[in-house]
Amino acid sequence: MPAELRFHTVHASESPQESKQIEQLLTESDLGWDSRVETFVVCRKGAALVACAGIDRNVVKCVAISPAFRGTSLSLQLGGELLKVAMERGHFHLFLYTKPDNTVFFRGWGFYPLVEVRDKVALMENSPIAIRRYCSDLRALRKHGGKIGCIVMNANPFTLGHRYLADVAAESCDWLHVFIVREEASMFSYAERYELASQGLSHIKNITVHHGSEYIVSRATFPSYFLKGKCTVDQCFTAIDLLLFREHIAPALEITYRYVGTEPACPVTSRYNKDMKHWLETADSRSPSIEVVVVPRITLRGSPISASEVRRLLQNKSLQEIKKLVPETTMRQLISRFGDQRRETEMTDGDDH
Amino acid sequence: MRIITEAVAGSLESSDLLVKVSPSRDKTLEIYVTSDVIEQFGTQIRHVVDDTLKRLAVTDGLIVIEDKGALDYAIRARVQTAVLRGAACKELNWEQLS
Repeated sequence: MPAELRFHTVHASESPQESKQIEQLLTESDLGWDSRVETFVVCRKGAALVACAGIDRNVVKCVAISPAFRGTSLSLQLGGELLKVAMERGHFHLFLYTKPDNTVFFRGWGFYPLVEVRDKVALMENSPIAIRRYCSDLRALRKHGGKIGCIVMNANPFTLGHRYLADVAAESCDWLHVFIVREEASMFSYAERYELASQGLSHIKNITVHHGSEYIVSRATFPSYFLKGKCTVDQCFTAIDLLLFREHIAPALEITYRYVGTEPACPVTSRYNKDMKHWLETADSRSPSIEVVVVPRITLRGSPISASEVRRLLQNKSLQEIKKLVPETTMRQLISRFGDQRRETEMTDGDDH
Repeated sequence: MRIITEAVAGSLESSDLLVKVSPSRDKTLEIYVTSDVIEQFGTQIRHVVDDTLKRLAVTDGLIVIEDKGALDYAIRARVQTAVLRGAACKELNWEQLS
């Protein structure tokens, strides 16, 4: 009697032996090992590892099935097991990375295509309507006619640099949509960043400050951005994030211009800005081009004003110097939070502009 | 009955179905069905789903169904389970479930 299929969960960091086997299976399927994937659901037949599926929070990737088991019921069992693990961890809305040729296969897992970089990679989500709903919510906030611009910012924290960029954009547009990155991976919480950006932009009349979402610069759409302190650019899926913007978000709000500041400090953001021109303007897409406008950063005594500089000064306890880099609204917050008893433990952070 | 939390029932395997329920944002009942056999049995599947929801008196929620060719009673059971989980229902009214 043939050995039964057994499914179990592997924590990559705790099982080097099994990790090696998983890596081998991935290699056989022409896939790379992804160090961000903390959990794998694996299937064994006897001692042999015959299938695996990785999950990094709410993002599924590194799905591989040994050739002999492709096209069997194993794949749907694997999908079901994976879903169970994700649900147990409180992740209901899932994203999935795969090769474009495999999107049909993952329809069987209940995933639907979101966006695709031809011949390279596709992003899917496990809902037939989530993106449509999101875009219809956005459409309710759209402003018709004229020149519509957009800025996506993390604002960690909001500086005079962000304000300058928005001022320039709002000046040349009939309406400006600003999105604040929602992911909680920054020194300042999302609520704090959103609040400070809203206050710092309240003088602009033709503006909407939007809440960010999983569809804009999130762990799902742009994983590299949130690798703390590393600024790795090799696996930048900037294309996914930018095409998602061009094909879903921009049309919903009739955005035709995207504004961005020059980025001298962080390689990831710098690369993102460079890729922006390609994916928003020239790359093949079912949606029209979006013009990218690069605005030189304002400087203070020759050095550009950036949020990373503010965080560096905070680390050095130089509150006074920060005064020249941020609007009063941000300064008040910094003083109330760091003025007297500074909390050293919160002083580490990754990339941001 | 209202869906107040996200819940799942069923599986993706052949002759089964996966039912996912989540709260509605605008107090409506929305139902999406995809099926391997939607061409032949789409209307019948939808009928069973609608009827099951009606008997449970589900008034709002988002119901997403990935059907893999399940028979009617499997559809009924999976929808009931997902809804009761999603509505955080503790006490069962067996008449509604028959």
